[in-house]
Amino acid sequence: MSTINRRNLLKTGAGVSAGMYFGAAHAQAAISLNMTSWGAPAEVDAFNQLIAKYKDVKPNVSIRLDIVPSGQYYQQLDTRLAGKQGPDLFRAQYQQIGRYAQSAAAIDVSKYLDAGFGDAFMPSVWQAVSYQGRIHALPHHTDTFALFYNADVLEKLGVEPPKSIDKSWSWAEFIRVAKLMKEKSGFNYPFAMAWQNANAYRWLMYLYQHGGTLLDASLKAPAINNKAGIESIAWTQSWFTEGLVPPNTSLKSTEPTQNLFATGKIGLLLNGDWQIPFIQDQAKFKWGVTYMPRDVAMASDLGGNALAISRDTKNAEAAADFLKFMVNEENMRAFVVKAQLLPVRKSMVEKGVSYDLRPSEMKVFLEQSKTVPEHLVSTVVLPTWGRFNAKLADELELAFTSGQAADATAANIEKHARAMLTT
Amino acid sequence: MAVVETLGRPAQSRPETPAAQRRWWVAARTKLTPYMFIAPNMALFSVFVFFPLLYAFYVSLREWSLIDTPRYVGLENYERLFSDPQFWQSLRNTLVYSFATVPTSLAIGLVLALALNRDLIARTFLRSLYFLPVVISSVATAVIAAWLFNDNYGVVNMLLRRVGLEPVAWLSSPRWALFSLVIATLWVRVGFCMVVYLAALQSISPTYYDAAEVDGATRFQQFRHITWPLLRPATFLLLILSVIYSFQVFDLIYVMTGGGPGFSTTMVVQYIYQAAFVSSEMGYASAMGVVLFLLILGFTLLQWSVNRRVEDVA
Repeated sequence: MSTINRRNLLKTGAGVSAGMYFGAAHAQAAISLNMTSWGAPAEVDAFNQLIAKYKDVKPNVSIRLDIVPSGQYYQQLDTRLAGKQGPDLFRAQYQQIGRYAQSAAAIDVSKYLDAGFGDAFMPSVWQAVSYQGRIHALPHHTDTFALFYNADVLEKLGVEPPKSIDKSWSWAEFIRVAKLMKEKSGFNYPFAMAWQNANAYRWLMYLYQHGGTLLDASLKAPAINNKAGIESIAWTQSWFTEGLVPPNTSLKSTEPTQNLFATGKIGLLLNGDWQIPFIQDQAKFKWGVTYMPRDVAMASDLGGNALAISRDTKNAEAAADFLKFMVNEENMRAFVVKAQLLPVRKSMVEKGVSYDLRPSEMKVFLEQSKTVPEHLVSTVVLPTWGRFNAKLADELELAFTSGQAADATAANIEKHARAMLTT
Repeated sequence: MAVVETLGRPAQSRPETPAAQRRWWVAARTKLTPYMFIAPNMALFSVFVFFPLLYAFYVSLREWSLIDTPRYVGLENYERLFSDPQFWQSLRNTLVYSFATVPTSLAIGLVLALALNRDLIARTFLRSLYFLPVVISSVATAVIAAWLFNDNYGVVNMLLRRVGLEPVAWLSSPRWALFSLVIATLWVRVGFCMVVYLAALQSISPTYYDAAEVDGATRFQQFRHITWPLLRPATFLLLILSVIYSFQVFDLIYVMTGGGPGFSTTMVVQYIYQAAFVSSEMGYASAMGVVLFLLILGFTLLQWSVNRRVEDVA
């Protein structure tokens, strides 16, 4: 039986004090994390607000946000990673996650997640951040395409935009409205599509609307060089050959299509929800948003981004904690409302989100986001997608601006797709 | 001893007496001084130019996406390059662009220099005006040019409409896009050519012209037999610099057309950039970089030898 004497008491007291001291020091060890992203002003504000909020929760963790222009984003990120100077955290499109996962530039975060963590997210985006059964990023938000329209012009033409997704315009109706605008409203070009700046993958939604796919069901072979593929290319090519879209809105163009719409140069714009703040601010006419046109099927584009941890971080655990904080329901809501984007948590998609700006238009986008085909998601998240995407842009550009025939374009895309699958 | 060896002389043992040692050190220091002056520049040159150049050769034999581990593929990238029609088109575009811009910018620069070498009203203002695009960031110049030539709201098309002409698809038609780029390039380059020619003109002694006038030479004869031959070093310098500029053009095209429509304005450097940073094929991009390096080197050596032959004849 031990007795408490003065010496033992002093020893115990000193031990406890030292333990408390080192424990406190450990708990408050300052951690600096560096995160890189691109973003519209509203997105940057939303990131900064949440970083400040995280500082309240974890005062010892400082997060510095580096904003890089979107045009040079991946170039700069890859160069930093090549030089072993990658940021702790980075933002990437879902289409890029496979590439970063395959090269292990985005670390596997599975061990930081509780069992069933992914069940709360939309299956399409959870699939997008998974690579060989491991999770390499956390889905942060999505966005998708719909059709912006100049309400003043449609009203004058007596055209009523579709009010529900099942009444959305068919391809033929959409082209009829566009031609009507060109003939009766004096537009040189009635509409434009935002697929510039390495966003060629957005063309795929028209392929899926027409019943086609780029790859077969097993994702092992190309499936574009057929009637559906060639007709989809020919349809989008006809926008250019029939003078329905400005010639400088092809894939390699540097023209921002939202400027054309906001300044009244075109009457219809196929673009994403993140353009709402800009158009709200710039357009001096009444405008609205309706659903994408449809053909044999309805389809829209998988937009949005995930947050990943780079292999160069020295604080993976702290970085993972911040990622989980960013994608919890409360913070995801704060981010998407502020930045005018769409959530990726099932509960939020089902219940909806109250937006301060243009809530009814955001409802259209939210509804439209449910029409992204699963097969399209599986296709664009392949690790070699980035390389193929550049080839897809080249071939479509040649079809739209340089007279390359639709069947030759489909054959060339098929060749590139085969190369993508064998790389 | 090591110092003496590096200076390319036979090895000598260090002198023994203090006086001899001092003399040896003075001689060595005199030889060393220029090397010390160029050392900082050479260090920077080595880090930022020479080493990357060698590294490009190394990468050109590999497949590398920048974020994964490079894999040796031998000459595969070079083989692919020779069968890639888009590489050949970009090379063809680069040559057409160079032929369209180099002689024109030199000619316009020379005409401007001759005009602004005279007593003109607002001469300094005009010289500054022509030189302005050279000192402005080339991206800013390209953005301004893109606005001027914009199909939808550009000033050029607005002026055409004002005078009752049809607008032209300056940047979106394969027929006109290269032409628009040539115009924008001339806008940037003539100022530089003008300044170099102005400096060269001002270094020609007026006595030559006085003598020629006494001999009854016409203005054209004076230009033909005095000005033009004495401007040859400046022309040679401008030719080399302009060809290198044209072969390496990137920012102007990146901003104005992005290489499109189609591949009609894709230049070699643009294509290299696309391979490196859009398709993440660093090996292939490096192989193209090596070929471009050899082309520019060959062209410069050719110009050098032609110029030397002309000088010798003169």
